[in-house]
Amino acid sequence: MRIVLARIDDRFIHGQVTVGWGQQLRPNHIILANNEIAADSWQCRVYRSSVAPSIRVSILSTSEAAATLRAVREQTGDGATGLLLTGNPQDMLFLHRHGRSLAEVNVGGMHYQPGKQELLPFVYVDDRDVAAFRAFLASGTLLQARQVPGARTTLIEERLLRDVERRL
Amino acid sequence: MIQGLVVTHGSLGAELVRVVESIVGTVEGLTALSNQGRSALDLTAELQERLAATDAGLVLFIDDYGGSCANAAQLACRDRSRAVILCGVNLAMLLGFVTWRDTLDLEELARRLVDKGREAIARVGTRGRD
Repeated sequence: MRIVLARIDDRFIHGQVTVGWGQQLRPNHIILANNEIAADSWQCRVYRSSVAPSIRVSILSTSEAAATLRAVREQTGDGATGLLLTGNPQDMLFLHRHGRSLAEVNVGGMHYQPGKQELLPFVYVDDRDVAAFRAFLASGTLLQARQVPGARTTLIEERLLRDVERRL
Repeated sequence: MIQGLVVTHGSLGAELVRVVESIVGTVEGLTALSNQGRSALDLTAELQERLAATDAGLVLFIDDYGGSCANAAQLACRDRSRAVILCGVNLAMLLGFVTWRDTLDLEELARRLVDKGREAIARVGTRGRD
């Protein structure tokens, strides 16, 4: 499986993913890695329901998702194109370390929560998020903040992280 | 009285409610909520609060099926029988809602609003072209 997009988005499967990125990149498999959703059949049903039937959807715990990524790592010629989704940078970092090394991660939406500060208008972070972003940068992963295809990409770099850290 | 909540992307819902009021005058119990700046969890929690404050029933009008608003509505309404979710909101549905909600029960109202919304979508001006 080739990963066409690894995206951090706390809205998980929604229009920007299925319509925006989906129509641009045409993935045939969406892997959503989230422990809470994977453990709740109702949430699984809601998130599955909005995806076209031609696209396979796997909703997995982070450890199951990492195992899946390891298992399909060598099968480069299987024609599978995967869109990998997590709700936060910690889960994506787990997949990066235990599933498959990611050269690029798309930061698509981390909305405001109490205790978080604005890094970008659609990216709010706390100490744990900053630490996860730093770990990605340290391993050479490019962090591209962009909500939808065609929008301007902002690279999340150390300078931005230092700026926001002063406000935390 | 059955309440209505228009849950949409951007300010679409607020504008729809404003236009309804410009047509029929001030309307009680019809409000808008935007997904802007809200995570799936936040939007779901906000909808759960609105649901808890409604005893006569609530119609959730959503702009687009498959979007974050529709997802949050389904997650929030999981255990609620006093709420219905209608996707594809248009002006005709909201006008139907303020006209009928006092005389119909929630189920019948939902059915009529779906019909009304669908009927409002029509190609016009094609007479004579067959």
